[in-house]
Amino acid sequence: MEPVAATVYPNYDSVGRAILEAFPIIDFLPVWLVALVIMVVVAACAIVFILVFEGVGSLVLRKLAGDIQSRVGPNRVGPYGCIQFLADGVKLILKEDLKPAACDRVLFRLAPYLAFVGSCAGLVVIPFAVGMIAADLDIGIYYVMAVSSLVSIGILLGGWASNNKWSLVGAMRGAAQIVSFEIPVAMSIIPVILVAGSLSTQEIVRSQGGLFGIFNWNLFHNPFLFFSFFVYLTAAQAETCQTPFDLPECESELVQGFMTEYSGIRFGYFFLGEFGELFVVCALATAGYLGGWHIPFLDAGNLGWFWGNLLSLGVFLTKTFTLVLVSMWLRWTLPRTRVDQLMRMCWKYLVPLTFFNLLGVSLWLLIFDGKGIPAMIAALFG
Amino acid sequence: MGLREYISDISEAVVTIAKGMRITWKYGVDPKEETTIFYPEERMVMPERTRGFLFNDVARCIVCNMCVKQCPIDCITLESIKGADKKNVLTSYKIDMGRCMHCGLCVEICPPKSLVHTDGYEGSSHTREELIVEFVEDDLATIKARIAAHAAELAKAAKAAEAAGKAPAAPANPAGGEKK
Ligand code: SF4
Ligand code: SF4
Repeated sequence: MEPVAATVYPNYDSVGRAILEAFPIIDFLPVWLVALVIMVVVAACAIVFILVFEGVGSLVLRKLAGDIQSRVGPNRVGPYGCIQFLADGVKLILKEDLKPAACDRVLFRLAPYLAFVGSCAGLVVIPFAVGMIAADLDIGIYYVMAVSSLVSIGILLGGWASNNKWSLVGAMRGAAQIVSFEIPVAMSIIPVILVAGSLSTQEIVRSQGGLFGIFNWNLFHNPFLFFSFFVYLTAAQAETCQTPFDLPECESELVQGFMTEYSGIRFGYFFLGEFGELFVVCALATAGYLGGWHIPFLDAGNLGWFWGNLLSLGVFLTKTFTLVLVSMWLRWTLPRTRVDQLMRMCWKYLVPLTFFNLLGVSLWLLIFDGKGIPAMIAALFG
Repeated sequence: MGLREYISDISEAVVTIAKGMRITWKYGVDPKEETTIFYPEERMVMPERTRGFLFNDVARCIVCNMCVKQCPIDCITLESIKGADKKNVLTSYKIDMGRCMHCGLCVEICPPKSLVHTDGYEGSSHTREELIVEFVEDDLATIKARIAAHAAELAKAAKAAEAAGKAPAAPANPAGGEKK
């Protein structure tokens, strides 16, 4: 599988050179310009994808809330309310963009973009398919961890600049929560790195191939990893400030927390950022634990460029969206925790558990020579 | 916090989350659970004793003024003039629906039960004045004309009775005497 994947990597310089060779008419252009154009196109694709995901995701979220709460959910715009998100988008864009008189103007404007960029920058290293990844960074996982802390800066700035006590309290809570939960999130994804022996997300996915494309998932590798997956989901739910842990914006006590003073498209950016983060953490869980784009019973690398990419993209998105749905389901099930409960959960339960898991996985890899349970069973049967 | 407590905390968290998620799953997958009534298209059948908007059947109203006196917030006003047969005739009966709190006291007190609650509840309007509902449809001139006609009729009937002889008129007097 290595050589196939290597040839379909989007190495922007080489793609640019190939395009220049294929179209002699634009031969006079420098390679870096063509590569830059390709990069912009890829970035635009990612942004369009995340916008569509956000739109459809918000609709699904509300429909799901309706179902679970014995209601109907949005049902007026389009059949079954299916284009409600377009109406919402138009509304957000057209709404008056209010700024409090005493706000810090520069920071107030900057904050939503930081939050949005921080959450969507993670898309760069999401391995969508066999050969679909914006940039296969060698430090992929650490990159996601690093850029996602931009979100906490965005939240803190937004809350501070609003000059509003609710916003400030929400922002403080948000910063404390995101920084705390970054530890269990990172520590529960490290076992995956240990198994794959690489930080690159594409490499991690590739290490889970074989054995029908299901049984070599890291999820089934050993009991510690199985446990680690759920710890990751819990911590990720908290790190993205989803409902049982949405303390930065809890309506009942803080109006909208750090978003209290935001309206119109600036509020929209925060909202987009939240959904972008949701997608990124679910995609990371898919790539790390659920075999990423590996198609069950098929080898995506041998299907040819088009079908291989298409099918593996479909498989990856299916797994990711399933996780997103589970996250939403959790969101409409559990009541909000208190701040002290949240912090207790993080520092007294999740952090020790993840360290324990890390130790367990390391010992397992040492004792069983890096083999997982399914691989050992497969070895038994020859 | 001992180790046993620690582990039981974790297992309790897992079990309660699973329980909650099972309940929401049950509601989530069963579309029959939806209790929403699609309001403008379909309407609820209101219960029998709904205290909706008031309605006064002015033909039966005896203008006793009880409802006006009973109303705790004075939202009923009525005007009347003397009719041909010495009974009062309504010229205006107004209820300020914007102020009415639907307590039902006026309905309970109404002797001929002409004032009733309907099951109506959709009464939005653009101005507050529109919420003051007038139940007497005819204007003053029409009512006066009707009373005059009634009076003429009564006079004719009285003349006819006189012409027919004093016998039929006789029982009317004791009745009048009793009233006094
Ligand atoms: S229902 Fe109550 S408040 Fe309304 S008019 Fe009758 S007595 Fe007054
Ligand atoms: S209590 Fe009834 S009968 Fe008397 S004035 Fe009011 S509506 Fe008419």
